[in-house]
Amino acid sequence: MVRYTKKYINSMTVLVVCLSWFLAACDQKQTTALYSSQINTQQTMNWVLDPHADLIWDSSGFVVTAQGVQNLAPSTDEEWDAVRNAAASIVEAGNLLIMPHHAQGRDAWIGHSRGLQFTGMELLKAAENRDAQALFDLGGQLYINCQSCHDQYLDLAAQERLN
Amino acid sequence: MKKQLFNVSILCLVMLFSGASWAHHSFAAEFDVNRPIEITGQVVKVQWINPHAWIHVEVVNSEGNEIWKIEGGTPNTLFRRGITRDTLPIGTNIVVRGYQVKGGGFAANGREITLENGNKLFVGTSGVGAPDDGAGKSK
Repeated sequence: MVRYTKKYINSMTVLVVCLSWFLAACDQKQTTALYSSQINTQQTMNWVLDPHADLIWDSSGFVVTAQGVQNLAPSTDEEWDAVRNAAASIVEAGNLLIMPHHAQGRDAWIGHSRGLQFTGMELLKAAENRDAQALFDLGGQLYINCQSCHDQYLDLAAQERLN
Repeated sequence: MKKQLFNVSILCLVMLFSGASWAHHSFAAEFDVNRPIEITGQVVKVQWINPHAWIHVEVVNSEGNEIWKIEGGTPNTLFRRGITRDTLPIGTNIVVRGYQVKGGGFAANGREITLENGNKLFVGTSGVGAPDDGAGKSK
């Protein structure tokens, strides 16, 4: 039976730890090299998520005046297709926000992003079913998704500064 | 190394001070908690739209007519509080308490609306920076 000295075991332990760290670093480098992280979180919000959220919000509701009630729901296949496309983009924005350079390992952030994905999927169903009421209700849910994340990660000073 | 540090610093500063709409639906970004308003007028238009309902109120004063745009919560939030499309028909006289938009102008975040019969409706939001002014809390 081979007997290992304490010094030998310690050396091997250090070697294994270093090798594991090296391999993990290589793996991470290989993964991050597959996509660009040039678009920061703020730009992702402004340029990717916001325009699609705005389209969803602008595509439902009512405007009441002395002249009557105007229904803002989509009325043509093209308008519903635009809602579908925006819904799919919101799902994908939720995916994007889970990427490491946005999420930064924050579990709650990932939870908010998954909430966004879920609402996007429900919006997609609403668009496919031509369901104006669901589109309206989910528009409110989408805002709650946005606001709950902002409340947690965008502090008061930052919000005031952005004005 | 120094150059990298410089680049990172610049990037941080740009991220800190650039961009206009990350918080484009928040109270703090748009409204001034130091500009409380109270207006009396007649409902002329209601937009039941996301992410915020808007109530347009015509105010008559010595300088003429002003149309104020009052922001509320999401329509569904208001519906859950019992405020429906029938609650604020066109022509209803109301008193609105809220906070004016930054920089002035005839727009405000509505907190509380008082109807002619004295009933009070909480129409506000509770996001970051929204004042804890007692509006909407049961008395």
